[in-house]
Amino acid sequence: MRDRELTERRLDEAAEITALLRDLLIVRRAEERLSAMFADGEVPGFIHLSIGQEAVSVGVMRALRVEDTLASTHRGHGHAIAKGMPLEGFFSELLAKNEGLCRGRGGSMHVADMSVGMLGANGIVGAGLSIALGSALAHKTLGRNAVAVAFFGDGALAEGLVHECMNLAALWKLPLLFVCENNGWGEFRPTSQQLAFALGDLASAYRIPHRIVDGNDVVAVAEAAEAVVRSIRKGEGPAVLECMTVRVRGHFEGDAQKYRDQAELDAMTERDPIRVVCERLAACGVNDTDLDGLTREVDAVIEAAVAAARRGTDPDPVAARHDVYTDGAAA
Amino acid sequence: MSGGNPLLMPKLGLTMTEGLLAEWRVSPGTTVRPGDVLFVVETEKIATEIEATAEGRIETLLVESGKTVPVGSPVALWTGPPPGGDATESAAATAPEPAPDVVPESRAAGRPDGRTVATPLARRIARQSGIDLSTVRGSGPRGRIKAADVEAVQTSPAPAVRASVPTSVRQPTNVERIVADRLSLSKRTIPHFYVLADADVTELEHVRAELNADRTGTRITVNHFIIAATAAALRAYPDFACRWTDAGIESLPVGAVGIAVDTPRGLMVPVLADAGARGIESIADAAGDLVTRAREGRLTPDHMGGAAVSISNVGMTGASMLVPIVDPDQSAILGAGAIRSVFRPDAEGRPVLRREVGLVLSCDHRVFDGMRAARFLDAVVSALNHPVRSIRTPDPGRG
Amino acid sequence: MTEIRYLKAVNTALSDAMDADPSVVLMGEDVGEAGGPFGASRGLLERFGPSRVLDGPISEAALAGAAVGAAMSGLRPVVEIMFMDFTTLVMDAMVNQAAKVRFMFGGQTSVPMVLRTPHGGGLGAGPQHSQCLEAWFAHVPGLKVVCPSDPASAYGLLRAAIADPDPVVFVENKALYAMKGEIADPPAPFAIGRAAIRRSGTDVTIVAYGAAVHTAGTAADRLAERGVSAEVVDLLSLQPWDEATVLASLSRTHRLVIVHEAVEAFGVGAEIAARMAQVGFDELDGPIMRVGAPFMPVPFSKGLEAAYMPSVDAVLQAVDKTLE
Ligand SMILES: Cc1ncc(C[n+]2csc(CCOP(=O)(O)OP(=O)(O)O)c2C)c(N)n1
Ligand SMILES: [Mg+2]
Repeated sequence: MRDRELTERRLDEAAEITALLRDLLIVRRAEERLSAMFADGEVPGFIHLSIGQEAVSVGVMRALRVEDTLASTHRGHGHAIAKGMPLEGFFSELLAKNEGLCRGRGGSMHVADMSVGMLGANGIVGAGLSIALGSALAHKTLGRNAVAVAFFGDGALAEGLVHECMNLAALWKLPLLFVCENNGWGEFRPTSQQLAFALGDLASAYRIPHRIVDGNDVVAVAEAAEAVVRSIRKGEGPAVLECMTVRVRGHFEGDAQKYRDQAELDAMTERDPIRVVCERLAACGVNDTDLDGLTREVDAVIEAAVAAARRGTDPDPVAARHDVYTDGAAA
Repeated sequence: MSGGNPLLMPKLGLTMTEGLLAEWRVSPGTTVRPGDVLFVVETEKIATEIEATAEGRIETLLVESGKTVPVGSPVALWTGPPPGGDATESAAATAPEPAPDVVPESRAAGRPDGRTVATPLARRIARQSGIDLSTVRGSGPRGRIKAADVEAVQTSPAPAVRASVPTSVRQPTNVERIVADRLSLSKRTIPHFYVLADADVTELEHVRAELNADRTGTRITVNHFIIAATAAALRAYPDFACRWTDAGIESLPVGAVGIAVDTPRGLMVPVLADAGARGIESIADAAGDLVTRAREGRLTPDHMGGAAVSISNVGMTGASMLVPIVDPDQSAILGAGAIRSVFRPDAEGRPVLRREVGLVLSCDHRVFDGMRAARFLDAVVSALNHPVRSIRTPDPGRG
Repeated sequence: MTEIRYLKAVNTALSDAMDADPSVVLMGEDVGEAGGPFGASRGLLERFGPSRVLDGPISEAALAGAAVGAAMSGLRPVVEIMFMDFTTLVMDAMVNQAAKVRFMFGGQTSVPMVLRTPHGGGLGAGPQHSQCLEAWFAHVPGLKVVCPSDPASAYGLLRAAIADPDPVVFVENKALYAMKGEIADPPAPFAIGRAAIRRSGTDVTIVAYGAAVHTAGTAADRLAERGVSAEVVDLLSLQPWDEATVLASLSRTHRLVIVHEAVEAFGVGAEIAARMAQVGFDELDGPIMRVGAPFMPVPFSKGLEAAYMPSVDAVLQAVDKTLE
């Protein structure tokens, strides 16, 4: 997370996994808090939660540096928080406050923090790919040793732009990591009903290396991401990381998910990323993880951010009009 | 059947085959001139006024209004030229500009509704030079008055009634123009009547001096006490907070009092919405803020409207009374003059020196009668007589 | 002063901008080795190398989207879209991304990119290679739109567009590419948002942009023969547009005709007419007239296309109508 030095520090494996667990908990608890606040009518608009998919955000971010950039999706809270967007700016934005990082103009679907290379969640399915593509082009042209990451869902694979971007990234050998969060759903229908191909086949058509991982196992995601990012940084061109994961909540908050099987919903707890990471810790011999204590600690940080956000002020319409153009001319 | 040439149902678009004669604007015997509307045709798209293209007298109407007839069939007989006649004047007698499916432009000159058709520039010049457009002949299409037409009138020798004293004319500011329009409206539409009283402010002056002695905020003025007294009178007579509207008599918030303010841009009347809920010190602060805002042009719509009664005070001058005009959105206004020293007889009939202010309550007779107005003014006077009551923040429970 | 062609002015502006700022890159179909579909980027690959002149595949959406991401990450990309008709494929990148990034991210970043694209008919290119779609872009808050009418403005506006911190749609005209014109030495940038009075007059204001400026100029010549003095205002920028200059001209002439090659209905002219009816109401001494293409696709046949394109005669008729 923000304490990026953590990565650099050579901690032992268990400590590192515990750090991942803590990051997972921050994303999880932040979104659970949002879910409650949304139900209370405190969060305006509509929100898509990544509960159950946090291991993808946290695992991939483990392989990134602050100068690396990412473009996200409509389900982008996890990407933003894991990349280092401050929680206070995040919650203030979701509560539509002037103190939000986007000054209350973007909201859930447009959380962004340029200072940590988070180029924005995106309300347009697939659009983030071309933005990440351009960012990768800038990294390459300006001689930065940075990587751009395009997060997208499996549903986005049916968008033509995805295909254009894969072709271009391969053609121009750009430092671009495609991360597909394959949760099996695109809105209210399984993506098996929406796609006639598998992502691996698509990637191989563009001659892009493709790796598939258990997207609910943060350690597996982090290891895979570290490996592909290393090769991208070496200049070997783009790669696709497909993370098989589970969307626990509805497509958006308030979606009762009538279209999903109870069996599928029940099976989800088995694969809960937090449970999986605790099993990982147990496998390293750590059986005394204080999950409750850690959760309390994380909650305190989140509560402080929520409280600060609630104290925020309403955005100013005049200032908003002056931000349409850089020179401040009101449109 | 009398004779004459036929007037035909015109073709108004490429696809028009028949037309509904919606309305006759002439009857047998009407004499028409070019541009006069003869009848209205409705097609599936629009209603079009059909104008006479030549002079003539209507003889007979052949089609009743409400009937649909084919294009080209006669709808009336008149003494004007025949359709498609070779008389050059009447060449276009049948259909105005049968442009393919295009909405006819508004055609308006010489309209029976008396509207003068002029370009915006012509109107502006006429307004600025005081020319009555109805006296100007338009040279544009269908008699539209253009700038040049007005200028021609402007430069023609003016009747020698103007005084030869050199004068100068200044454009009013926006506020001045609005005030002028609104007050003219008020004097035209509101039947004003007036009740007068002198209020004893001897004690008030002492109280005021004491309050100001240990006060750091806006200095409390007599006007602030008059605001408080008016608010108190409204509390005593809540049904005074109402005004006449076209829809009926509208009740207004009881605690609101308007304050006439002389600003560099002209007269403004911001409203102290909750005067009724404030003690004198709070009134002084809030009124001070309103006046500053009005002078600096920082009033917002929140500061305007909602009051039935306003106050206009010229006490800072030597004027003894002010008879004000009621704001068109209100129903009464209290004019206050300067404080004077007067001798009044005490209980034994000996002269005592008192301080008094002359008050005039101008009222809208559509909503109040003389008795109600007099009682209200009495309540104001009584509140001024007992200034200590104004110091407290009023108890909301007491209505 | 030197005389150069419009296309060369575009080429020189690109080359000067790339010289001046190493973050300027070109991308588009055939902009590299081929020198651009119309030759606007001729010689630039050789001068600046393949990392700055990027020959893209036929992927308009991805190229434009990549320009947004690149602009957010430190480059100043100039994307060429071969025909304005193809901008239908870049709408998401321009409308939902480029235009909104600055605003919706609370002013954290701007998107300094340029989308160059030629519009215009008259060349028998048919319904899908001739359209003037600039009003679409001018309707989107966050985008700027400019449309030069001659070599000097092509150079000046392109330099300004590339230097601008916000996304600019730079609309060229295929029919003007060969046009010759004077250009200052060294050539100067033009300020975006400023119109130019091409010819002063007192009786009627004709506002035009792009190739229509020349139609308006010819009409003004003819009007002069008849003793009517027309003022020709070349808008140059459509978003933002120079309302003050148009209003000042209208206040002198009191009559307004707006000419553009784009379809008349719901076009740039409609906006200008509406604004002038509002802010210039008391100046008007005749109806505001618009001259634009009829509400139909651009036809292919020479005769049909000639009838389609707004003509000098159409401008004259409009002027007559407002002078009536
Ligand atoms: C271009 C576009 N089309 C449709 C939508 C509506 N929409 C929002 S999310 C979504 C499903 C996306 O599925 P996927 O990419 O798998 O992401 P997930 O919701 O599963 O995270 C759709 C269709 C949109 N936002 N943008
Ligand atoms: Mg999905």
